[in-house]
Amino acid sequence: MNLNFLSPVFLFGLLGIAIPILIHLMTRRQKKRIRFSAVYLLFQSKKRSVKKSTPNRLLLLLIRCLGILLLSLALANPIFSFGGPEDLLPVSPSASVFILDDSYSMGMRSGDDTVYAEAVSALLKPVGKLPAKSAYSIVLASQSTHLLQDWTEDPTLAEKLLKTSKPSFETTRIGRAVAKAVQLLESAPQKEKRIYIFTDLDKNGWQEDEFLQAELSNKHYPVTLIDFSALRTGQNNAAVKQADVSQEFLTNSRVLRVKSRVANLLKNRPINGLDVSLSINGKQQSRASLKFAPDEEVKKEFTFPMKGNEALNGVVAIPDDALGVDNKRFFSYQPDQKIKALVVDGDPKTIAHQRETFYLEKALNPFTVALSNIEPTISTLEQLRVRDLFDYSAVLLCNVRELPFDYERQLEKYVQQGGALFIALGDEIDPKYYNEKLGNLLPVSISALHRIGRNDKPFRLDIKKSDHPALKVFKGKSLDEMKSIRFNSLYSVEPRENRKYTVPLQFTNQYPAVVESDFGKGKVILYVSSVDRDWNNFPIQPTFLPWIQRWVKYSAQGLESIRNQQLLVGETFAWQDTLTDTSLFVESPDDKITQLAGTSHEDTFVPGVYRLFRLTREENSVPAENKESQIVPKLPDNALPAGTFTVNIDTRESESKKITEAEVRQLLGGMQVRFSSGAGFNQPVDSATGTPLTTPFLLMVAGMLLLEGLMVRRE
Amino acid sequence: MEEKETFSYDPEVLARVSTLKLRALNLVEGLLSGHHRSRHKGSSVEFAEYKDYSPGDEIRHIDWKVVGKTDKYHVKQFEQSTNLKCTLLLDCSGSMGYISPNQTGLTKMDYARTLAASLSCLLLKQFDAVGLTLFNDEAVHHIPPRSKTSHLQHILHGLSTIEPQGITRVDKVIEKLVERLKNRGMLVLISDLFAREDNIQRDLKLLVSRGLEVVLFHVLHPDEVSLPFEGDIIFESLEDDPEIGLDPQDIRKEYQEAVQRQIESYRSLSLGLGVDYVFLETTTPLDQALSYYLLKRQSITKA
Repeated sequence: MNLNFLSPVFLFGLLGIAIPILIHLMTRRQKKRIRFSAVYLLFQSKKRSVKKSTPNRLLLLLIRCLGILLLSLALANPIFSFGGPEDLLPVSPSASVFILDDSYSMGMRSGDDTVYAEAVSALLKPVGKLPAKSAYSIVLASQSTHLLQDWTEDPTLAEKLLKTSKPSFETTRIGRAVAKAVQLLESAPQKEKRIYIFTDLDKNGWQEDEFLQAELSNKHYPVTLIDFSALRTGQNNAAVKQADVSQEFLTNSRVLRVKSRVANLLKNRPINGLDVSLSINGKQQSRASLKFAPDEEVKKEFTFPMKGNEALNGVVAIPDDALGVDNKRFFSYQPDQKIKALVVDGDPKTIAHQRETFYLEKALNPFTVALSNIEPTISTLEQLRVRDLFDYSAVLLCNVRELPFDYERQLEKYVQQGGALFIALGDEIDPKYYNEKLGNLLPVSISALHRIGRNDKPFRLDIKKSDHPALKVFKGKSLDEMKSIRFNSLYSVEPRENRKYTVPLQFTNQYPAVVESDFGKGKVILYVSSVDRDWNNFPIQPTFLPWIQRWVKYSAQGLESIRNQQLLVGETFAWQDTLTDTSLFVESPDDKITQLAGTSHEDTFVPGVYRLFRLTREENSVPAENKESQIVPKLPDNALPAGTFTVNIDTRESESKKITEAEVRQLLGGMQVRFSSGAGFNQPVDSATGTPLTTPFLLMVAGMLLLEGLMVRRE
Repeated sequence: MEEKETFSYDPEVLARVSTLKLRALNLVEGLLSGHHRSRHKGSSVEFAEYKDYSPGDEIRHIDWKVVGKTDKYHVKQFEQSTNLKCTLLLDCSGSMGYISPNQTGLTKMDYARTLAASLSCLLLKQFDAVGLTLFNDEAVHHIPPRSKTSHLQHILHGLSTIEPQGITRVDKVIEKLVERLKNRGMLVLISDLFAREDNIQRDLKLLVSRGLEVVLFHVLHPDEVSLPFEGDIIFESLEDDPEIGLDPQDIRKEYQEAVQRQIESYRSLSLGLGVDYVFLETTTPLDQALSYYLLKRQSITKA
């Protein structure tokens, strides 16, 4: 039972009780004692007297005090309700596990605050009223279920931990939390053990398999479920479910497309004119007003021109409703860095299209530099001497017979320090030179030239879907196209001893087509056929352009290998490339900078755009032996941007479906389940949740005034 | 001599005796000299009037001097001066000891005492016998009637030693006293008559039927008549009633009515029985009260 006040400030009026007390004290007459003769006559007179007796001044005082008390209470707007924390609490020392649902659906608006805040304040009440020697612990029931507070008897700890807490951005996992609670209770010494669950009963959080794993059928702890769903004071109208950015690869446009998907979560009401806006780097880029049928998802594609080559962080947003977190979806787009490539033509011709590098140059830089971000520089062998290799991110040797004297050393040094070397073979090359002079760079030796006869079937690439960063964009139609490429000549290769390499692409006869290896900080890619039409028809295929561009970007490590990582809250981010001597830093949306110990980042609990930075280890001041990721106060000055990834919420929980009591009982197996309303549990905020007592109190005040008046009049 | 032995020479008592005596003598001197005419005609030496002789009158009563002067036979008529025995019955119960919180003048007990002393003095001066009985619920002290002048001292001493206490039971006292008062005489009852066991009507009848002349002095303090107190007061009884806390204002009217009713009932009762009833408030000057009473008595006697 609860008595609450909507305007508790009027309770100060209770101080007014002092007034009648003062009046009483000031007007109190000293009682005299007189020894009198005719006392029996006084008795007789008193019996006869119409004024039966003097109004008892104490009674008058009591009535006046009561009147002021009732008036103050009436003005304070009292609401009486049944069902408070006391009704659910144990009476003897007990062990209680409080499971608090901190999933993002608990962030629904409830009055001026959130449902979560109501749940927290409701949780703190029973914690503060547990019988002596009772222990409690708190388990958070979002996806990354964790023990917030281990067994303790100190009720203030819960307040310290929860007062400033906020709901997470994760979905609910009640099953795991219950399993954790059971595990905790098994270890508790108290006889009486209880579980309290403070939740909005969102069905999404009650996964059957988790309850099966918890094996609750032989556990008989009393479970009290406090349901806060009724405290929501608004509806979660809509949610942005998707926001993906893309740039058409082979088109001559610099227009980015953002595909978004917005859902009307109202099952029986259409939404007319919902503003969906797209913001890029904090500025609104475009806006659309969408119409929704009940329970409908609408796809909206935004397009906008891309200016410059800066990274874009964007968000698709709809106006706020009762649940704010699902009204935004983040995306990021990292345009490739401009890569300067030195293309060495081993077979220069005066007629342009006969040159070894004719197709390659066109493929690397089809229209302008800006579109492919690769700026090829064609060079002959003679011109090599005057070029500084370190001006380029990648060096492509195309059908080069042999390099100038001792140039392979410069190449080795170049690759060692992070340069990319792409070698395409051809009819001009000297395998012997390659095997002897470039032996350090190449993990394989070139063994034999294979040519097909006039009537032989050409070599074909063994095309299958690949996860290789350079090849993973090829799928569907483009893969089929690549299968049709005819190769009539190629070199086979032999592995060298103790050398590591990978074969991302091979021919149908199992000959490697591309051999990839690391050398120092750089990469060496060997393509066993030619990049002109002499040995194959690949250069005139539409897939040649992205294929060669991606290999160049990949080897030059400027590829968007990470930017397509779109994660959900709580999922682990993993850097897809192997890293040697490089430290990664992640800057999260809440401006927290983490230095990663490895290549993965687990702290993705806040939705938004995460920025990655890399730093070679020599430059890194933090000792390399750190095995765990750690938060650093500041990004090192020489850390270079290495990309971005986005984290968004899992919108499964946006659609609020409440689990029924029967389903809960079924999932909780043998446990005795008791349901309680969070509305009654917490302070009722309006008269709907309780009985207002203002009128009865005012009537009582009137009664008191009448009584007081009568008494004073009699006096 | 026996009574002398009861004298206590406590200086305080003696002082009280002398002041009482002074007060009483003063009072009595100021009054007309006592003419107690007995309603009973009998042998007496006091000449009343002359009457023409008629046969049958005693010859020894013929005034020969007048016969010699006027040659007419006149017979001397004498009024018998009775040998009056008066008993003063003074109430000395607790209620008589009332002292007003804003006391001025005589207290009720003093007033009654002075009244008794004055009466004694007056009677003794006329050579009547005066006795004194003090009582509360029984006779506390009894001084038999004597007509010696020196008897006044006994009475004054008796009056001086009164300590008001106990409850009032007039009836019991009178029942016992009646046996002693064999001869016809006078009984003066001085009391506030605050007695719950109210058999006084029967007792007065009894007294009157025995041929006693009864005078009732009803003495009350003005406080007891008007209940003039203000504020919440706890009244403690001077006798054996429980205490009562009240605001006198609430019951003043009822109380005053009750007292007046009581006075009226005594008055009418007395009138019916031929008892002299005198109501006295302690503020009434005693000489005034006494002279008023004596005048009244005279007029009654003459009538």
